[in-house]
Amino acid sequence: MVMQTINKIISANEKINDVLMNQSGLLDVVVYENASYDLNLLQAGQSLKVKVSLLGQNACCTLRTVYLSGTDADNKIEFEVIHAVEQTNSKQEIKGVAAGFGKADFYGVIRMPHGSQKCEGSQSHKALLLSDNACIKCTPELEIYADDVKCAHGSSIGTLDETYLFYLMSRGIDETTARQMLIKAFLLSDMPQAFETEIDKWMEANE
Amino acid sequence: MKNLLEIKNLNACVGEKQILKDFSFEIEPGKVYAIMGPNGSGKSTLSNVIAGNPVYSVTSGKMLFKGKDLSKMTPDVRANEGIFLGFQYPIEIPGISYAQFLKQALTSKMKYLGQKPLDAVAYIKRLKVRAQALGVTDEMLKRPVNVGFSGGEKKRMETLQMAFLEPDFCILDEMDSGLDVDALKIVADGVNLMREENRSFLLITHYERLLDLIEPDVIYIMVDGHIVEKGDKSLARKLEENGYADYK
Repeated sequence: MVMQTINKIISANEKINDVLMNQSGLLDVVVYENASYDLNLLQAGQSLKVKVSLLGQNACCTLRTVYLSGTDADNKIEFEVIHAVEQTNSKQEIKGVAAGFGKADFYGVIRMPHGSQKCEGSQSHKALLLSDNACIKCTPELEIYADDVKCAHGSSIGTLDETYLFYLMSRGIDETTARQMLIKAFLLSDMPQAFETEIDKWMEANE
Repeated sequence: MKNLLEIKNLNACVGEKQILKDFSFEIEPGKVYAIMGPNGSGKSTLSNVIAGNPVYSVTSGKMLFKGKDLSKMTPDVRANEGIFLGFQYPIEIPGISYAQFLKQALTSKMKYLGQKPLDAVAYIKRLKVRAQALGVTDEMLKRPVNVGFSGGEKKRMETLQMAFLEPDFCILDEMDSGLDVDALKIVADGVNLMREENRSFLLITHYERLLDLIEPDVIYIMVDGHIVEKGDKSLARKLEENGYADYK
Protein backbone atom coordinates (compact mmCIF):
# COMPACT_ATOMS: atom_id res chain seq x y z
CA MET A 1 0.00 0.00 0.00
CA VAL A 2 1.26 3.48 -0.88
CA MET A 3 1.58 5.69 2.16
CA GLN A 4 0.60 9.16 1.24
CA THR A 5 0.82 12.59 2.78
CA ILE A 6 -2.08 14.98 2.50
CA ASN A 7 -1.39 18.61 3.38
CA LYS A 8 -4.22 20.95 4.25
CA ILE A 9 -4.01 24.63 4.97
CA ILE A 10 -6.98 26.23 6.67
CA SER A 11 -6.60 29.93 6.02
CA ALA A 12 -7.61 32.68 8.45
CA ASN A 13 -11.36 32.77 9.13
CA GLU A 14 -11.97 29.64 7.04
CA LYS A 15 -14.15 26.81 8.38
CA ILE A 16 -13.57 23.36 6.97
CA ASN A 17 -15.55 20.21 7.76
CA ASP A 18 -14.02 17.01 6.38
CA VAL A 19 -15.56 13.55 6.26
CA LEU A 20 -12.90 10.97 5.48
CA MET A 21 -12.89 7.20 5.49
CA ASN A 22 -10.10 4.63 5.47
CA GLN A 23 -7.12 6.91 5.10
CA SER A 24 -3.52 5.86 5.44
CA GLY A 25 -0.28 7.78 5.72
CA LEU A 26 -0.11 11.33 7.08
CA LEU A 27 -2.74 14.03 7.18
CA ASP A 28 -0.91 17.25 7.99
CA VAL A 29 -3.15 20.23 8.71
CA VAL A 30 -2.26 23.79 9.65
CA VAL A 31 -4.93 26.13 10.95
CA TYR A 32 -4.52 29.91 11.01
CA GLU A 33 -6.23 32.59 13.12
CA ASN A 34 -9.98 32.42 13.65
CA ALA A 35 -10.16 29.33 11.42
CA SER A 36 -11.56 25.95 12.36
CA TYR A 37 -10.96 22.44 11.13
CA ASP A 38 -13.45 19.65 11.87
CA LEU A 39 -12.40 16.16 10.92
CA ASN A 40 -14.88 13.29 10.91
CA LEU A 41 -12.91 10.14 10.32
CA LEU A 42 -13.78 6.46 10.02
CA GLN A 43 -10.96 3.91 9.98
CA ALA A 44 -11.40 0.22 9.34
CA GLY A 45 -7.98 -1.36 9.09
CA GLN A 46 -5.43 1.34 8.22
CA SER A 47 -2.46 3.15 9.66
CA LEU A 48 -2.84 6.91 9.83
CA LYS A 49 -1.23 9.86 11.53
CA VAL A 50 -3.10 13.14 11.83
CA LYS A 51 -1.07 16.17 12.77
CA VAL A 52 -2.83 19.47 13.38
CA SER A 53 -0.89 22.66 14.06
CA LEU A 54 -2.94 25.53 15.42
CA LEU A 55 -0.87 28.48 14.24
CA GLY A 56 -3.12 31.50 14.76
CA GLN A 57 -5.06 32.90 17.69
CA ASN A 58 -8.57 31.50 18.05
CA ALA A 59 -7.76 28.64 15.71
CA CYS A 60 -9.54 25.45 16.68
CA CYS A 61 -9.95 21.86 15.61
CA THR A 62 -12.26 18.97 16.42
CA LEU A 63 -11.16 15.47 15.51
CA ARG A 64 -13.99 12.94 15.66
CA THR A 65 -12.99 9.40 14.88
CA VAL A 66 -14.58 6.01 14.76
CA TYR A 67 -12.35 2.99 14.29
CA LEU A 68 -13.40 -0.57 13.54
CA SER A 69 -10.82 -3.31 13.99
CA GLY A 70 -11.46 -6.86 12.90
CA THR A 71 -9.38 -9.96 12.23
CA ASP A 72 -6.71 -8.99 9.65
CA ALA A 73 -7.89 -5.38 9.80
CA ASP A 74 -5.87 -3.68 12.51
CA ASN A 75 -5.93 0.06 13.07
CA LYS A 76 -3.06 2.28 14.04
CA ILE A 77 -4.05 5.86 14.68
CA GLU A 78 -1.86 8.67 15.86
CA PHE A 79 -3.09 12.16 16.63
CA GLU A 80 -0.77 15.05 17.31
CA VAL A 81 -2.25 18.45 18.06
CA ILE A 82 0.11 21.36 18.55
CA HIS A 83 -1.17 24.53 20.15
CA ALA A 84 1.59 26.69 18.71
CA VAL A 85 0.15 30.02 19.85
CA GLU A 86 -2.04 31.24 22.69
CA GLN A 87 -5.85 31.10 22.74
CA THR A 88 -6.31 28.01 20.59
CA ASN A 89 -8.71 25.12 21.18
CA SER A 90 -8.71 21.46 20.29
CA LYS A 91 -11.00 18.56 20.93
CA GLN A 92 -10.48 14.89 20.12
CA GLU A 93 -13.31 12.37 20.38
CA ILE A 94 -12.40 8.82 19.52
CA LYS A 95 -14.63 5.78 19.65
CA GLY A 96 -13.68 2.33 18.53
CA VAL A 97 -14.39 -1.36 18.58
CA ALA A 98 -12.26 -4.45 18.08
CA ALA A 99 -13.71 -7.84 17.19
CA GLY A 100 -12.29 -11.28 16.43
CA PHE A 101 -8.51 -11.07 16.55
CA GLY A 102 -8.59 -7.38 15.66
CA LYS A 103 -6.13 -4.92 17.17
CA ALA A 104 -6.20 -1.17 17.58
CA ASP A 105 -3.42 1.09 18.69
CA PHE A 106 -4.32 4.70 19.42
CA TYR A 107 -1.75 7.26 20.41
CA GLY A 108 -2.82 10.85 20.96
CA VAL A 109 -0.74 13.76 22.11
CA ILE A 110 -1.66 17.35 22.83
CA ARG A 111 1.32 19.68 22.84
CA MET A 112 1.17 23.06 24.56
CA PRO A 113 4.60 24.61 24.32
CA HIS A 114 5.86 27.77 26.10
CA GLY A 115 3.71 30.69 25.06
CA SER A 116 0.54 28.70 24.45
CA GLN A 117 -1.31 30.43 27.31
CA LYS A 118 -5.13 30.37 27.53
CA CYS A 119 -5.35 27.27 25.34
CA GLU A 120 -7.82 24.47 25.85
CA GLY A 121 -7.37 20.90 24.73
CA SER A 122 -9.26 17.70 25.38
CA GLN A 123 -9.08 14.11 24.31
CA SER A 124 -11.65 11.38 24.94
CA HIS A 125 -11.13 7.78 23.85
CA LYS A 126 -13.81 5.14 24.42
CA ALA A 127 -13.68 1.63 23.06
CA LEU A 128 -15.33 -1.75 23.23
CA LEU A 129 -13.66 -5.12 23.07
CA LEU A 130 -16.09 -7.44 21.31
CA SER A 131 -14.19 -10.69 21.72
CA ASP A 132 -11.73 -12.29 24.12
CA ASN A 133 -9.00 -12.18 21.50
CA ALA A 134 -9.36 -8.55 20.47
CA CYS A 135 -6.82 -6.04 21.72
CA ILE A 136 -6.95 -2.25 22.09
CA LYS A 137 -4.08 -0.09 23.24
CA CYS A 138 -4.56 3.56 24.06
CA THR A 139 -1.75 5.94 24.90
CA PRO A 140 -2.86 9.45 25.74
CA GLU A 141 -0.15 12.03 26.26
CA LEU A 142 -0.20 15.64 27.33
CA GLU A 143 2.94 17.72 26.86
CA ILE A 144 2.41 21.03 28.62
CA TYR A 145 4.96 23.79 29.12
CA ALA A 146 2.54 26.70 29.64
CA ASP A 147 1.02 27.38 33.05
CA ASP A 148 -2.32 28.95 32.18
CA VAL A 149 -4.03 26.26 30.09
CA LYS A 150 -6.80 23.71 30.36
CA CYS A 151 -6.04 20.24 29.16
CA ALA A 152 -7.78 16.95 29.82
CA HIS A 153 -7.84 13.41 28.60
CA GLY A 154 -9.84 10.31 29.41
CA SER A 155 -9.87 6.77 28.14
CA SER A 156 -12.10 3.81 28.85
CA ILE A 157 -12.04 0.37 27.30
CA GLY A 158 -14.64 -2.21 28.23
CA THR A 159 -16.96 -4.87 26.93
CA LEU A 160 -20.65 -4.74 26.00
CA ASP A 161 -22.77 -4.33 29.10
CA GLU A 162 -24.70 -7.56 29.73
CA THR A 163 -27.46 -5.59 31.48
CA TYR A 164 -28.19 -3.68 28.27
CA LEU A 165 -28.09 -6.88 26.27
CA PHE A 166 -30.57 -8.57 28.58
CA TYR A 167 -32.90 -5.58 28.47
CA LEU A 168 -33.09 -5.70 24.66
CA MET A 169 -33.38 -9.49 24.58
CA SER A 170 -36.16 -9.40 27.19
CA ARG A 171 -38.16 -7.53 24.55
CA GLY A 172 -37.75 -10.32 22.01
CA ILE A 173 -34.70 -9.04 20.14
CA ASP A 174 -32.23 -11.84 19.34
CA GLU A 175 -28.70 -11.62 20.70
CA THR A 176 -26.95 -10.80 17.43
CA THR A 177 -29.37 -7.99 16.58
CA ALA A 178 -29.24 -6.68 20.16
CA ARG A 179 -25.43 -6.62 20.10
CA GLN A 180 -25.43 -4.83 16.76
CA MET A 181 -27.93 -2.25 18.01
CA LEU A 182 -25.80 -1.55 21.08
CA ILE A 183 -22.52 -1.37 19.14
CA LYS A 184 -24.04 1.02 16.62
CA ALA A 185 -25.59 3.15 19.34
CA PHE A 186 -22.24 3.36 21.09
CA LEU A 187 -20.31 4.29 17.96
CA LEU A 188 -22.78 6.76 16.50
CA SER A 189 -23.67 8.63 19.66
CA ASP A 190 -22.20 12.14 19.09
CA MET A 191 -20.59 10.93 15.88
CA PRO A 192 -21.49 11.65 12.22
CA GLN A 193 -24.46 9.62 11.01
CA ALA A 194 -22.66 9.44 7.65
CA PHE A 195 -20.74 6.46 9.03
CA GLU A 196 -23.85 4.36 9.60
CA THR A 197 -23.66 2.38 6.35
CA GLU A 198 -19.98 1.55 6.83
CA ILE A 199 -20.62 0.45 10.40
CA ASP A 200 -23.51 -1.76 9.24
CA LYS A 201 -21.29 -3.41 6.63
CA TRP A 202 -18.52 -3.96 9.15
CA MET A 203 -20.91 -5.53 11.67
CA GLU A 204 -22.31 -7.89 9.05
CA ALA A 205 -18.79 -9.15 8.42
CA ASN A 206 -17.48 -9.13 11.97
CA GLU A 207 -20.31 -9.68 14.42
CA MET B 1 -57.96 -24.97 33.50
CA LYS B 2 -54.48 -25.54 32.07
CA ASN B 3 -51.82 -23.39 33.70
CA LEU B 4 -50.07 -20.65 31.75
CA LEU B 5 -46.97 -20.94 33.92
CA GLU B 6 -46.02 -23.70 36.27
CA ILE B 7 -42.97 -23.59 38.50
CA LYS B 8 -42.03 -26.64 40.53
CA ASN B 9 -39.35 -26.94 43.21
CA LEU B 10 -37.21 -24.26 41.62
CA ASN B 11 -33.82 -23.49 43.12
CA ALA B 12 -31.85 -20.55 41.80
CA CYS B 13 -28.83 -18.56 42.85
CA VAL B 14 -26.75 -15.50 42.11
CA GLY B 15 -23.12 -16.54 42.21
CA GLU B 16 -22.81 -18.78 45.24
CA LYS B 17 -25.84 -17.38 47.04
CA GLN B 18 -29.04 -19.37 46.82
CA ILE B 19 -32.09 -17.11 46.55
CA LEU B 20 -35.00 -19.27 45.40
CA LYS B 21 -35.49 -22.34 47.56
CA ASP B 22 -37.83 -25.05 46.35
CA PHE B 23 -40.07 -22.38 44.92
CA SER B 24 -43.35 -23.59 43.46
CA PHE B 25 -46.43 -21.80 42.14
CA GLU B 26 -48.91 -21.79 39.30
CA ILE B 27 -50.30 -19.06 37.09
CA GLU B 28 -53.64 -19.59 35.40
CA PRO B 29 -54.62 -17.71 32.24
CA GLY B 30 -56.67 -14.55 32.65
CA LYS B 31 -55.83 -13.95 36.30
CA VAL B 32 -53.99 -11.25 38.18
CA TYR B 33 -51.54 -12.39 40.84
CA ALA B 34 -49.58 -10.39 43.34
CA ILE B 35 -46.46 -11.42 45.17
CA MET B 36 -45.67 -9.63 48.39
CA GLY B 37 -42.80 -10.24 50.72
CA PRO B 38 -40.12 -8.59 52.79
CA ASN B 39 -37.00 -7.12 51.19
CA GLY B 40 -34.57 -9.81 50.12
CA SER B 41 -37.18 -12.58 49.97
CA GLY B 42 -36.38 -13.24 46.28
CA LYS B 43 -39.25 -11.52 44.46
CA SER B 44 -37.06 -9.73 41.92
CA THR B 45 -34.91 -12.82 41.49
CA LEU B 46 -38.04 -14.80 40.65
CA SER B 47 -39.05 -12.30 37.95
CA ASN B 48 -35.55 -12.27 36.46
CA VAL B 49 -35.32 -16.05 36.50
CA ILE B 50 -38.62 -16.35 34.63
CA ALA B 51 -37.43 -13.79 32.06
CA GLY B 52 -34.10 -15.62 31.65
CA ASN B 53 -31.60 -13.13 33.04
CA PRO B 54 -28.23 -14.92 32.70
CA VAL B 55 -26.99 -13.35 35.94
CA TYR B 56 -29.14 -15.88 37.80
CA SER B 57 -28.59 -19.60 37.50
CA VAL B 58 -31.20 -22.25 38.01
CA THR B 59 -29.73 -25.23 39.83
CA SER B 60 -32.80 -27.48 39.88
CA GLY B 61 -36.55 -27.48 39.38
CA LYS B 62 -38.94 -26.97 36.49
CA MET B 63 -40.47 -23.98 34.74
CA LEU B 64 -43.12 -24.69 32.16
CA PHE B 65 -44.68 -21.88 30.14
CA LYS B 66 -47.63 -22.95 27.99
CA GLY B 67 -46.34 -26.47 28.63
CA LYS B 68 -42.88 -25.68 27.21
CA ASP B 69 -39.67 -25.95 29.21
CA LEU B 70 -38.40 -22.42 29.81
CA SER B 71 -34.91 -23.51 30.81
CA LYS B 72 -34.06 -24.24 27.20
CA MET B 73 -35.11 -20.78 25.98
CA THR B 74 -32.98 -17.64 25.69
CA PRO B 75 -34.53 -14.39 27.00
CA ASP B 76 -35.61 -13.29 23.50
CA VAL B 77 -37.40 -16.58 22.84
CA ARG B 78 -39.18 -16.35 26.21
CA ALA B 79 -40.28 -12.81 25.31
CA ASN B 80 -41.53 -13.89 21.91
CA GLU B 81 -43.37 -16.81 23.51
CA GLY B 82 -45.26 -14.18 25.52
CA ILE B 83 -43.35 -13.34 28.71
CA PHE B 84 -42.84 -9.67 29.57
CA LEU B 85 -40.84 -8.30 32.48
CA GLY B 86 -41.50 -4.71 33.47
CA PHE B 87 -38.30 -3.73 35.23
CA GLN B 88 -38.06 -2.21 38.67
CA TYR B 89 -35.21 0.00 37.44
CA PRO B 90 -35.49 0.39 33.67
CA ILE B 91 -32.06 1.12 32.22
CA GLU B 92 -31.10 4.03 29.97
CA ILE B 93 -29.72 3.23 26.53
CA PRO B 94 -28.14 6.23 24.80
CA GLY B 95 -28.14 6.11 21.01
CA ILE B 96 -31.28 3.94 20.53
CA SER B 97 -34.56 5.81 20.18
CA TYR B 98 -37.75 4.40 21.68
CA ALA B 99 -39.38 4.28 18.27
CA GLN B 100 -36.47 2.28 16.82
CA PHE B 101 -36.37 -0.02 19.85
CA LEU B 102 -40.09 -0.78 19.79
CA LYS B 103 -40.10 -1.35 16.05
CA GLN B 104 -37.25 -3.84 16.32
CA ALA B 105 -38.96 -5.63 19.23
CA LEU B 106 -42.24 -5.96 17.34
CA THR B 107 -40.49 -7.01 14.12
CA SER B 108 -38.62 -9.72 16.07
CA LYS B 109 -41.81 -10.99 17.65
CA MET B 110 -43.73 -11.15 14.36
CA LYS B 111 -40.82 -12.91 12.68
CA TYR B 112 -40.71 -15.45 15.53
CA LEU B 113 -44.45 -16.05 15.19
CA GLY B 114 -44.13 -16.39 11.41
CA GLN B 115 -46.23 -13.29 10.78
CA LYS B 116 -45.66 -10.63 8.16
CA PRO B 117 -44.11 -7.43 9.59
CA LEU B 118 -46.47 -4.48 9.93
CA ASP B 119 -46.19 -1.79 7.28
CA ALA B 120 -45.20 1.70 8.40
CA VAL B 121 -48.77 2.99 8.69
CA ALA B 122 -50.01 0.04 10.74
CA TYR B 123 -46.94 0.23 12.98
CA ILE B 124 -47.41 3.94 13.71
CA LYS B 125 -51.12 3.43 14.36
CA ARG B 126 -50.46 0.60 16.80
CA LEU B 127 -47.88 2.69 18.63
CA LYS B 128 -49.82 5.96 18.68
CA VAL B 129 -53.02 4.48 20.06
CA ARG B 130 -51.18 2.95 22.99
CA ALA B 131 -48.90 5.95 23.53
CA GLN B 132 -51.87 8.31 23.72
CA ALA B 133 -53.66 6.13 26.26
CA LEU B 134 -50.61 6.35 28.51
CA GLY B 135 -49.91 10.04 27.91
CA VAL B 136 -46.67 9.31 26.04
CA THR B 137 -45.81 12.11 23.62
CA ASP B 138 -44.16 11.87 20.18
CA GLU B 139 -41.20 13.71 21.63
CA MET B 140 -40.72 10.97 24.27
CA LEU B 141 -40.74 8.32 21.54
CA LYS B 142 -38.01 10.14 19.63
CA ARG B 143 -35.72 10.27 22.65
CA PRO B 144 -33.14 7.58 23.40
CA VAL B 145 -34.52 4.73 25.53
CA ASN B 146 -35.19 6.11 29.04
CA VAL B 147 -32.40 8.71 28.80
CA GLY B 148 -33.33 11.72 30.89
CA PHE B 149 -36.74 10.28 31.82
CA SER B 150 -38.05 10.71 35.34
CA GLY B 151 -38.76 7.61 37.44
CA GLY B 152 -42.47 7.93 36.65
CA GLU B 153 -41.87 8.34 32.92
CA LYS B 154 -39.66 5.26 32.85
CA LYS B 155 -42.42 3.15 34.41
CA ARG B 156 -44.94 4.61 32.00
CA MET B 157 -42.65 3.64 29.12
CA GLU B 158 -42.35 0.10 30.48
CA THR B 159 -46.14 -0.06 30.46
CA LEU B 160 -46.16 1.23 26.88
CA GLN B 161 -43.75 -1.51 25.82
CA MET B 162 -46.03 -4.06 27.42
CA ALA B 163 -49.15 -2.68 25.74
CA PHE B 164 -47.34 -2.50 22.40
CA LEU B 165 -45.98 -6.05 22.46
CA GLU B 166 -49.18 -7.63 23.82
CA PRO B 167 -47.59 -10.43 25.87
CA ASP B 168 -49.56 -13.25 27.49
CA PHE B 169 -47.83 -13.05 30.84
CA CYS B 170 -46.78 -9.71 32.30
CA ILE B 171 -44.52 -9.49 35.33
CA LEU B 172 -44.44 -6.01 36.81
CA ASP B 173 -41.61 -5.66 39.28
CA GLU B 174 -42.45 -2.89 41.74
CA MET B 175 -44.09 -0.76 39.10
CA ASP B 176 -45.46 1.43 41.89
CA SER B 177 -42.05 2.46 43.24
CA GLY B 178 -41.16 6.02 42.38
CA LEU B 179 -44.62 6.88 41.08
CA ASP B 180 -46.81 9.67 42.36
CA VAL B 181 -50.53 9.05 42.79
CA ASP B 182 -51.48 10.41 39.35
CA ALA B 183 -48.74 8.54 37.50
CA LEU B 184 -49.67 5.34 39.32
CA LYS B 185 -53.28 5.73 38.21
CA ILE B 186 -52.24 6.18 34.56
CA VAL B 187 -50.09 3.07 34.65
CA ALA B 188 -52.70 1.04 36.54
CA ASP B 189 -55.37 2.07 34.02
CA GLY B 190 -53.03 0.90 31.27
CA VAL B 191 -52.73 -2.50 32.93
CA ASN B 192 -56.46 -2.80 33.58
CA LEU B 193 -57.16 -2.06 29.92
CA MET B 194 -55.00 -5.02 28.99
CA ARG B 195 -56.78 -7.51 31.26
CA GLU B 196 -58.07 -10.29 29.06
CA GLU B 197 -59.25 -13.85 29.22
CA ASN B 198 -55.90 -15.29 28.17
CA ARG B 199 -53.52 -12.77 29.65
CA SER B 200 -52.14 -13.03 33.18
CA PHE B 201 -50.29 -10.57 35.36
CA LEU B 202 -47.87 -10.97 38.23
CA LEU B 203 -47.51 -7.83 40.32
CA ILE B 204 -44.58 -7.61 42.65
CA THR B 205 -45.27 -4.95 45.21
CA HIS B 206 -44.87 -3.84 48.80
CA TYR B 207 -47.99 -1.72 48.94
CA GLU B 208 -51.69 -2.32 49.14
CA ARG B 209 -52.43 0.89 47.24
CA LEU B 210 -51.37 -0.72 43.94
CA LEU B 211 -53.73 -3.60 44.62
CA ASP B 212 -56.59 -1.13 45.16
CA LEU B 213 -56.04 0.05 41.60
CA ILE B 214 -55.33 -3.32 40.00
CA GLU B 215 -57.38 -5.85 41.88
CA PRO B 216 -55.61 -9.22 42.12
CA ASP B 217 -57.36 -12.60 42.08
CA VAL B 218 -54.63 -14.24 44.12
CA ILE B 219 -51.97 -12.97 46.51
CA TYR B 220 -48.86 -14.99 47.29
CA ILE B 221 -46.65 -14.21 50.25
CA MET B 222 -43.00 -14.98 49.63
CA VAL B 223 -40.44 -15.28 52.40
CA ASP B 224 -36.87 -16.58 52.19
CA GLY B 225 -37.10 -17.78 48.62
CA HIS B 226 -40.42 -19.60 48.61
CA ILE B 227 -44.18 -19.13 48.94
CA VAL B 228 -45.45 -19.28 52.51
CA GLU B 229 -49.08 -18.34 52.00
CA LYS B 230 -51.68 -17.99 49.27
CA GLY B 231 -54.89 -16.07 49.63
CA ASP B 232 -57.22 -13.42 48.25
CA LYS B 233 -56.99 -9.64 48.45
CA SER B 234 -57.68 -9.64 52.17
CA LEU B 235 -54.12 -10.90 52.69
CA ALA B 236 -52.78 -7.51 51.61
CA ARG B 237 -54.84 -5.77 54.27
CA LYS B 238 -53.59 -8.23 56.88
CA LEU B 239 -49.99 -7.50 55.87
CA GLU B 240 -50.57 -3.77 55.96
CA GLU B 241 -51.68 -4.13 59.57
CA ASN B 242 -49.33 -6.84 60.90
CA GLY B 243 -46.29 -6.81 58.61
CA TYR B 244 -44.41 -10.03 57.95
CA ALA B 245 -43.78 -10.94 61.60
CA ASP B 246 -46.15 -13.92 61.40
CA TYR B 247 -44.11 -15.51 58.63
CA LYS B 248 -40.64 -15.25 60.14
